[in-house]
Amino acid sequence: MTDPYEVLNIPSTATDEEIKKAYRELARKYHPDNYHDNPLADLAQEKMKEINAAYDAIQRQRSGRSASGGSAYARQSYTDYQRQSAGSPAFQQVRMAINRNDLGMAEQLLDRMDDHNGEWNFLKGTICYRRGWVDEARRYYQTACQMNPGSAEFRQALNFVENNQAGYRPEGYEVFTSGCSGDNLCGRLACTYLMCNLCGFGGMRFFCC
Amino acid sequence: MFGYVLPSAARLTEEDKSRFGGVYCGLCRTLGARYGQAARMILNYDFTFLAVLFWPQEEGNPLHGGCMVHPIAGRDYFPENNALALAADESVILAWWQIQDALADPGKGKMKYRAASGALKGAFCRARERRPAFDGTVRRQLEELRRLEEAKCASLDEPADAFARLLSAAAEAAAEPVKRRVLEQLLYHLGRWIYLVDAADDLAKDFASGNYNPLLCHFSLEKGELTEAARESLTVTLDHSIRLMAAAFELWDFGVWSSIIRATVYEGLFLVGRAVLEGTFQSRDAVFRLAGRNKEQL
Repeated sequence: MTDPYEVLNIPSTATDEEIKKAYRELARKYHPDNYHDNPLADLAQEKMKEINAAYDAIQRQRSGRSASGGSAYARQSYTDYQRQSAGSPAFQQVRMAINRNDLGMAEQLLDRMDDHNGEWNFLKGTICYRRGWVDEARRYYQTACQMNPGSAEFRQALNFVENNQAGYRPEGYEVFTSGCSGDNLCGRLACTYLMCNLCGFGGMRFFCC
Repeated sequence: MFGYVLPSAARLTEEDKSRFGGVYCGLCRTLGARYGQAARMILNYDFTFLAVLFWPQEEGNPLHGGCMVHPIAGRDYFPENNALALAADESVILAWWQIQDALADPGKGKMKYRAASGALKGAFCRARERRPAFDGTVRRQLEELRRLEEAKCASLDEPADAFARLLSAAAEAAAEPVKRRVLEQLLYHLGRWIYLVDAADDLAKDFASGNYNPLLCHFSLEKGELTEAARESLTVTLDHSIRLMAAAFELWDFGVWSSIIRATVYEGLFLVGRAVLEGTFQSRDAVFRLAGRNKEQL
């Protein structure tokens, strides 16, 4: 088995507090929310398993007890978002295709349907979201919610798109396109802070600032 | 491409900086060695970043030498390897098709593109022989983009997807299946981001010339600048793409290159995107520069 300390990227002399901190940082990084409807979710899940196993192994070694299973982060599921089976068999087929990550097939099935009801819009939005097309995903989810205001599933999807945009950031990284979430980095915006002063070509700054 | 992909220097150690510089100079020399002096003009940071993504976990030993730009002091550079060869070949293919695309565009100012096309023809033929699959994808995706442009497509995601698929095709060169999957995602979202940032950068120019720009159509803009609401919406889209790049990056061990990639996907791209939206980023279109230089020489 791989050295659990290596998995958590800490020396074996680390204190309990340091171990917990390293574990939390990694668990935050590979958290299911960061890989929600992401085609790489299975790889993130693998990572999370390794991290949990390493943390548990260290806990066991240090406490001298047998398996505690007491990771600070409970085993999070990457399949929370498995499509619920609802609606007509035709929609179920679409959901199955999405779960297989066969987005082309899912889209074809939807395109053949005439009734663009709430669920149709929701599934169309899900396909867009899986592709990273957040703009269109939000539009379809909004339509789905307008058509079926009572659907918790549709509402949850829209909330996720609208409120879960921050994602994981390593500690201290606070810059966004719109500005900073902290207050100490705004002054950094200048090309001088980008790695773009290497050279010019023929005395001209061709590709540099 | 366009030179938007830059790590945030504030996050790099001196070692990282010289490492990144070594790739940049290595790519320049590789372009020269494989495609002749004219091809060195298409050197840019986006393809330097591509070489970084394909580099083995260990960097290897840099060499030191002078060149036309730094004849006396010289620079450290990495000698040609698979990553540099890939970045060089693919940058020639993409530059070539972008020039052909510009030539097919019914507008003025063809001189510079004709000159660039002439200067790159031999290089392109060699690059196509080396990477026929990538050449096919680039041609197909740029045709798709042209079709969407002609239809005045009002979606942001559709034309961005056409360009994203083009870049994502570069991932096929990765030998390890997991790395290939990671790079497919990373490059797909990088392509999306580059396309949209470039559209924002060209907004005023396209508005004035009447050229297609997805942002003009999508937000029904009445001026050559983004409204507050449009800017907010575009920002969400750009941030989301960067976030997906970062999520993919975390699933592969890029070895000594990790800190450079981290400084790009967690900070550099945000800074560039913001500078473009604020109009403070100086556009450096490689094709235009190449052509400008050739025109001077003619």
